[in-house]
Amino acid sequence: MRLSHLALTHVRSFEHLDMDFEPGVHVVYGENGSGKTNLLEAIALLSTARRARAGRDGELISWTALAEDPLPAAQLSARIDGAAGSTTLDITVMTRAVRDAGTASTEPPAASRRFRVNGVARRASDLIGRLRTVLFSVDDVGLVDGAPAARRRFLDVTISQLEPLYVRALQRYGRVLVQRNSLLKRLQERRGDAGELDFWDQEAATAGAVLVRARAELLSRLDELASDSHRDLSTKGEQLRIAYEPALPDDLREGLCEPGLDSRLAAMFRATRPLDIRRAMTLHGPHRDDIAMLLDGHAAGSFASRGEQRTLALALRLGEVALSRERTGDAPVLLLDDVLSELDVRRRARVVAAAYEVDQVFITTPDEDRPRIEELPGARRYALEGGTLTPR
Amino acid sequence: MLDPLATDSAPPITRLVEAFHRLPGIGPKSAQRLAYHVLRAPAAEAHALADALVAVKEQIVLCAHCQNVAEQNPCRICQDTGRDRTVVCVVEEPLDVVAIERTHGFRGLFHVLHGVISPSDNVGPEDIKIAELLARLRDVDTEVTEVIVATNPNLEGEATAMYISRLLRPLGIRVTRLASGLPAGADLEYADNLTLGRALEFRQEVR
Ligand SMILES: [Zn+2]
Repeated sequence: MRLSHLALTHVRSFEHLDMDFEPGVHVVYGENGSGKTNLLEAIALLSTARRARAGRDGELISWTALAEDPLPAAQLSARIDGAAGSTTLDITVMTRAVRDAGTASTEPPAASRRFRVNGVARRASDLIGRLRTVLFSVDDVGLVDGAPAARRRFLDVTISQLEPLYVRALQRYGRVLVQRNSLLKRLQERRGDAGELDFWDQEAATAGAVLVRARAELLSRLDELASDSHRDLSTKGEQLRIAYEPALPDDLREGLCEPGLDSRLAAMFRATRPLDIRRAMTLHGPHRDDIAMLLDGHAAGSFASRGEQRTLALALRLGEVALSRERTGDAPVLLLDDVLSELDVRRRARVVAAAYEVDQVFITTPDEDRPRIEELPGARRYALEGGTLTPR
Repeated sequence: MLDPLATDSAPPITRLVEAFHRLPGIGPKSAQRLAYHVLRAPAAEAHALADALVAVKEQIVLCAHCQNVAEQNPCRICQDTGRDRTVVCVVEEPLDVVAIERTHGFRGLFHVLHGVISPSDNVGPEDIKIAELLARLRDVDTEVTEVIVATNPNLEGEATAMYISRLLRPLGIRVTRLASGLPAGADLEYADNLTLGRALEFRQEVR
């Protein structure tokens, strides 16, 4: 699939950008601070409906709009062409309240979002995955050495683009968890009755089972695909294994894809009530999941060198690309955010090869020589300066 | 008040701005605009507004049967002998009664909970009118055989519906829920007449 048209209005450093894109390789040259990352994150946002990095939505709105418009809003629009035909996507991020004059603040304002698919107002869950992207970023090493939350985020962003039901389950699980934890706190303070947990336990189990099953399935296949990629990339020939580490009691960790998982989880939530109440928090469940990453049997997060960790992260992303294509029969759009310049020639060649296997890829780089023009035959090149993208 | 303009105003104006600001959905700017509108308006308009505000507190009571807001106790609906006394429709808010009455598709009685169970908002079953519902259905003179739980089709509405159905099942009362014609997450208050009418007509038994 490909992004055939992109329009950004008041999106961060882009006051007004309106571009058509052909299939193939697109290289965007820009100095640091020129907004290269903003460009790729805007495309990723149209794909996942969530920010690529933590931050308030209000930050998406350009400073000019915040300073001058009575109701500042950022508008992102895209046309996607793929196996499923042509689709238009729109996301509007608007501030929730009119800002009072004279109360200029350095804090970004609270913002809300509106989504449209083919011009019709839709929920985020209906928009996610219409454009499938895989974003390669220098921050990806955090998938290996960072906190479990980064790895759960990877799972959520990846699976959401492939399974619309996952998005719904994820939203529902999140809301149920907030309510269940609040109720646990009430019960810890001896207010209310443990029977009030029945509904929330069942809902957490129903939504949680969708998440656990999807994660188990994804990781079992990604283990194979990422290991293949890793074999091509690594110099020492270590064996990469990745495995799902569900935050479940030992007796529940097997057979996650077998039927009846929701009732097994419901029984678990019920059984862990006394402990959960004592701690006033839900101690088990997909909100605490993790992924184990092993190089020749050793935990990569603690034992691998920085270089090995970067290679591993790259293998994960390439595995994600392969998986997305395998599941849908249509290759995702690749977004390579300044990742080529940090790679040696061999690894760079491997990533560039992957770029030529998909319909469309956007590469940003601050460096005219990395990648060199001859490394990217037929690539379209652009200069990004002052929020304007100029073909060159 | 954080607004510098308001704190510089004369105390009665500041008081009014603050009172408006406390209303839901009214920001500091709007509060100020409303206050200055009242200031410029004829005295009669200000008196009418003040009277309406006081009247709503002094003349509106809660009906002891259905807990709805009303001008008298029991309310007009509870007193109406033409209504079907075997069915009670349980709703979250008084406005939901208005919405259902507008459909002309329901001839039974109501029960207003004045909220839904939502632990994160610190609202438990004891904080809404569930005990009153139970007392009403346990009354020896009750003719009620069916309770339609018409809370909104969102998480908290569903939690409340399930809690109520658990309580009522031992009483031998049939508990039903509106048919799923209402979009998930929708607000009853904003549902159109036809959709709401159909949801009522094709209600389903709670498992
Ligand atoms: Zn009444």
